[in-house]
Amino acid sequence: MSRLAPDRWAAVAMFAVAALTPLVVRDAFLLDSVILILLWGALSAAWNVAGGYAGQVSLGHAAFFGIGAYAAALMSARYAQSPWLGLAVGVALSVVAGALIGYLSNRLKGPYFALSTIAFAEVLKIVASRWRGFTSGSEGVPVPYRPGFWTLGLGHVAWLYLILVVAVGCYALQVYLERSRVGYQLAGVREDEDAAEALGIATRRRKVQAIVLSAAMTSACGSLWAQYVGFVDPSHVFSIDLSVRFALNSIIGGIGTALGPFLGSLLITSLETYLRATFSGVEASFTGIYLIIYGVVLILIVRFAPDGLTGIAGRFWAWRARAHA
Amino acid sequence: MLTLEAVTKRFGGLTAVRAVSLEVRAGDLLGIIGPNGAGKTTLFNVIAGYYRPEEGRVRFEGRDVTGLPPHAIARLGLTRTFQIVKPFGNLSVADNVMIGALTRLPRVAHARAEAERVIDLCGLGPHRYARARALPIALRKRLEVARALATRPRLLLLDEVMAGLNPTELVGIVDLVRRVHAEGVTLIVIEHVMAAMMRLAQRIVMLHHGEKIAEGTPQEIAHDRRVIDAYLGDEFNLAEA
Repeated sequence: MSRLAPDRWAAVAMFAVAALTPLVVRDAFLLDSVILILLWGALSAAWNVAGGYAGQVSLGHAAFFGIGAYAAALMSARYAQSPWLGLAVGVALSVVAGALIGYLSNRLKGPYFALSTIAFAEVLKIVASRWRGFTSGSEGVPVPYRPGFWTLGLGHVAWLYLILVVAVGCYALQVYLERSRVGYQLAGVREDEDAAEALGIATRRRKVQAIVLSAAMTSACGSLWAQYVGFVDPSHVFSIDLSVRFALNSIIGGIGTALGPFLGSLLITSLETYLRATFSGVEASFTGIYLIIYGVVLILIVRFAPDGLTGIAGRFWAWRARAHA
Repeated sequence: MLTLEAVTKRFGGLTAVRAVSLEVRAGDLLGIIGPNGAGKTTLFNVIAGYYRPEEGRVRFEGRDVTGLPPHAIARLGLTRTFQIVKPFGNLSVADNVMIGALTRLPRVAHARAEAERVIDLCGLGPHRYARARALPIALRKRLEVARALATRPRLLLLDEVMAGLNPTELVGIVDLVRRVHAEGVTLIVIEHVMAAMMRLAQRIVMLHHGEKIAEGTPQEIAHDRRVIDAYLGDEFNLAEA
């Protein structure tokens, strides 16, 4: 094959740095940051499969995240079974949920589709808050810590490598989507559904498939998140903040690109972690200031780089190529 | 090849297409003319599966395709272009055409090769890496044709591929339509450019207020009193056209 494109190199470099971190540092805070960057990146990549590649911009992906999180947490807390089993159950449930929402909102486009997905996540939030006998309601579910791989009671280093594998898997899946028949057909659906139909593409089926795949990936990551953080409650795991976060990471990094979600996560997650750590301890009155800075950065990016960080990089590369020519 | 049996399409109280019957044989190059709002594009939408007719049947190669979704009809070998072009704007010309080719050729490499052939046939070679949305209108019209051709249709519906083109571009697209027809694709063409239509079409159907009011060779149509009154006007002269 020809030379690897710059964005592929960037991804390889990023994953390599993540893989090397535990060999250099053992600081729990730093390892935690890397794990969260990778996990949010993987989740955003999952969102990107539907929102970026297929153009089905959802603001309700917390629904699938929450299903995965609750499935794993309840499986280990309530039934004392392996959270891996919970992960599998969560994926199955999310596949059904994704197919359902994909099918029901099939004719909706743009903002109307996004609204219907928000409603879906909100319904699940209410169910999880009210179904006290099963989910413990808004008190949430603490996940018991039982050391071992099968019970997902892992140290920071093991978590980092596990999440790294998941992140690389999500990245690889996106790369596959960029080069495969399905991926090209999804691009056609995203660009113009009528034209895609005229070319023989079953647009409705393709859209549902993209949402189902995206839901399954999101759910699996949600299960891992629950085990890593150790606590699940409805107002967080089904929150629109989470859904927006998946979307924002992808949009800031570069929507519909394999690298974008991870770049976005790298920027946003590290920014958030840094600002929180810096300002929360200073004085009580500063606790909220990181949100303001965070907001300003978002506005700047959306204003000056609407196609995201990969868009900036692409323009820079094109400019450099011209300068050298 | 294509048979319409008394097809009627209504939008609320408006009857856009009224009891239109039509017979298209393999190898035909049929023109459809008529004033704005006559129901030409609606008829295409019914044939290609975008609208389901209230009455009547559409048969393609002996098969009843009434009510089938557009993608199923496209896979049977009947597809269309859009009057208001619908390119996949953010994709390259090559990718646009390849997505069409993927319908018959599931392997990306094969579809890529087929797309190259179609791109050259349609004179889009120098623009294959251009983003579709960056193309001028004449090339976007060609892209519509190229993308549809890549699905290897046996019957292709061309909806005003000549509208808005300058005389030079017009010659080019007429030539392209001829080449496509020569490759064995049966064509139904909607067009307002009468000069081109009269020279291209073997047979012309005239729609007016959703009804078929005339059908015949270009000569017959040009001298048909109803066609002159409703559409051509008295000044129209076939020899000058």
